[in-house]
Amino acid sequence: MAHSLTSECTPLKLEYDSCFNSWFEGYLEPAVSAASSAEQRAKYSREKAQEYEQKCGKIWAAYRDCVQKAVKEKGLDDLLDQARRDNPLKEPPTTTISSSSSS
Amino acid sequence: MHYFSQTFNYDHSWARVIIGMWHKYPNPHCSHVVTVDVVDRSVDPRTGVIRTERILGCKQRTPVWIVKLFGGSEDAFVREISFIDPSTQTATISSVNLTLSQFATCNEMIHYSPAPDGRTAFHQTAEIETRVAMWRSAADKLEGWLATRFEQNAQLGKVGFTDVLRQLWEDAKEQKPAHAGA
Repeated sequence: MAHSLTSECTPLKLEYDSCFNSWFEGYLEPAVSAASSAEQRAKYSREKAQEYEQKCGKIWAAYRDCVQKAVKEKGLDDLLDQARRDNPLKEPPTTTISSSSSS
Repeated sequence: MHYFSQTFNYDHSWARVIIGMWHKYPNPHCSHVVTVDVVDRSVDPRTGVIRTERILGCKQRTPVWIVKLFGGSEDAFVREISFIDPSTQTATISSVNLTLSQFATCNEMIHYSPAPDGRTAFHQTAEIETRVAMWRSAADKLEGWLATRFEQNAQLGKVGFTDVLRQLWEDAKEQKPAHAGA
């Protein structure tokens, strides 16, 4: 896994990344097939979001604090804030993908 | 404005490609990407959509004239936001440069969706544009340089990610293992 912005954060980042990846790898495929009903999907999403919080919440908080400091140290906080103001992207962008399935 | 677009398929299922996304770096083909940090992430307990905001740190040789005209250094940072929606099997990744953003913007959009035969369609577009009120020939040169670099990195990204997916899943006895290169 790639390094963090600063070497202090790298161990936290690596621990967080492995936590997320192992959760995500268990999450994704069942999530794809859980589409059978809306209630089932909602239940699965809720449980899995909770599980993520339980498993990775602590290490995420530690890593986030570290990386937030690093972003400031590197002078990226203003650039990041500006980019967030320009385009918050809180929702998925509406993509205009030219579908290839019709060809 | 420069416009870039490419579409192709990866020989892996959507879920495998999306799992692979988080393993793309570090990558010998994309050695310019040196740091990757998650700065925000949420798992929507209602929809199951995962939103991730990352900062990628890149190091690439920058021509002297760029440094002279626009300042900066070899270090460049990119903000990337991804949405992964398992219910629709869509992933969208939007990226924009943080470095030199007062002079030019490079907006990239990537989209992964399932393709026939258990493959995954990759669709990438990028718009590279200099900001207004710039000395014209410098703006054109900057834009041209950014576009060239983007295209080079896009090709490296394709080769690099193909390798990552093959290594990640080759032991999984997939029916159709991917082949590196094109």
